[in-house]
Amino acid sequence: MMELLSYEFGQRALAAGVIVGLMCAVLAFFVVLRRMAFVGVGLSHAALGGVALGVITGTSPLAGAMTVSLVVAWVIGWLTRRGRLTEDTAIGVLFPTAMAFGIALMSLSATYRQDLIAYLFGSILAIRTADLQLLIVLAAATLSLLALFFKELVFMSVDEEAASAARLPVTTLRYLLLTVLAATIVASIKLVGVVLVSALLVVPAATGQLAARSMKSMLVVSVMAAEISVIAGLWLSWTWNLPSGSTIVLVSATLFLVAFVSRRRADGAP
Amino acid sequence: MNESAAITFDDVWFSYDTVRTLERVSFDVERGRFAALIGPNGAGKTTALRLLLGRLRPTRGRVLLFGSPPGRQREAVGYIPQRVTVPRGFPLTVFELVLMGCYGRLGLGRRPRRPDRDAAVHALERVGLVDLAGRYFETLSGGQQQRALIARALAGEPQLLLLDEPTAGLDPAARADFYNLCCLLQREAGLTLLAASHDIDAVAHHADRVILLNRTVLAVGSPHDVLHAPVLQEAYRFPARHHDQEHDHRAPGTAPS
Repeated sequence: MMELLSYEFGQRALAAGVIVGLMCAVLAFFVVLRRMAFVGVGLSHAALGGVALGVITGTSPLAGAMTVSLVVAWVIGWLTRRGRLTEDTAIGVLFPTAMAFGIALMSLSATYRQDLIAYLFGSILAIRTADLQLLIVLAAATLSLLALFFKELVFMSVDEEAASAARLPVTTLRYLLLTVLAATIVASIKLVGVVLVSALLVVPAATGQLAARSMKSMLVVSVMAAEISVIAGLWLSWTWNLPSGSTIVLVSATLFLVAFVSRRRADGAP
Repeated sequence: MNESAAITFDDVWFSYDTVRTLERVSFDVERGRFAALIGPNGAGKTTALRLLLGRLRPTRGRVLLFGSPPGRQREAVGYIPQRVTVPRGFPLTVFELVLMGCYGRLGLGRRPRRPDRDAAVHALERVGLVDLAGRYFETLSGGQQQRALIARALAGEPQLLLLDEPTAGLDPAARADFYNLCCLLQREAGLTLLAASHDIDAVAHHADRVILLNRTVLAVGSPHDVLHAPVLQEAYRFPARHHDQEHDHRAPGTAPS
């Protein structure tokens, strides 16, 4: 680990990893509570269309990913606003469409494929100073919003109708959550990759749910699980020359397995 | 229309795109009454509740709560759904669920304080669940869960409770227990209640006003008058037709599917 930290790119990757871990873990709490795992998968894959657009047009791939992810997130919110379509149906339509768009764009130019591989599976070499600065701004904005409206988001996630009766702005809160989800996915793409970022939006909270006895402790355990996954995953990625996304997710899955087995033993299951 | 009533439907029409769910719906519910909204599946009961919650807007006509459009009234409104399902194993305690009832009163971004926590405890005492405050909501029985949802509504100090099939899936004892508690709250706290229900027996025993709905209002009055009206049998014998007449393309004489 010390060797990794002796390089500037290693320091940037670790700083980005800690921020991404925090963002994903807090958001994962709501992803699990609202059963939005498929929305996370869909938005992250849809971001590929934006990455391809940015690469092909020579503009910023992250700006492209942010644009496409936000558009897809808001269209999901619009399509599901009166319950005419469920979230999973809406994302089932939009996610392959945006991804197909990305694949079609990729096929136009073989030159850029190497860049796209890094976006697909993540790379610790990919984090530049400008990326880290963008990440800090996104994290400050998303975490502040989640902290400010935490109780309202929990109420809405448990029972939207009752939250409406209590005069909470349910529609605005839904769009807020989708926007924060899209922003977090884009912020995580360079380190974890579009294919695997959705895992960080579920697995840490699933681990927290197994290990905790209250919502507060679930949040704390989720953050700890995400940070351990990111730090250990980056170190393993450096040591064994593996894509950072896959090692982070494998560590995260291992922590989940440990929590699962421990919980079964604690519950006295055979 | 009586605009001082707790609930007013004034010539309300509503369509989901081309599917008309409500037409010419007019009724009101006086303050302090326990009204039941009955009707067959697809009659528009849940749509009527969603209009009252401000989740939907009428295509035509007016829906008022205490004389104001839903969401703009000063009086607090509590909502009790058929059920609340949290993901299996999610550590949401009964107390945390009931405390949510205070969030509307608190305002955006403000955290619950001691008086709010006291209000949640008091609400749990009123429904007899204070001993289960630390239990996970999902581990309660169906009847206990419905009591916890009443407590959540009470924690917001409402003037009106809206109930959507609140006893579906409960055994007869739990159903009677639930409605007895509702009647007690109506008498003691002067609450207005509107319950959408299929449970005609319970309605006959507990409500003091019944609205029979089947896309439009077929009858309004006391339980005795409405439940003995010939129109009740007609409403339940012939399921509500969901499709707008203008968009119904079945061949003449074809039986409904």
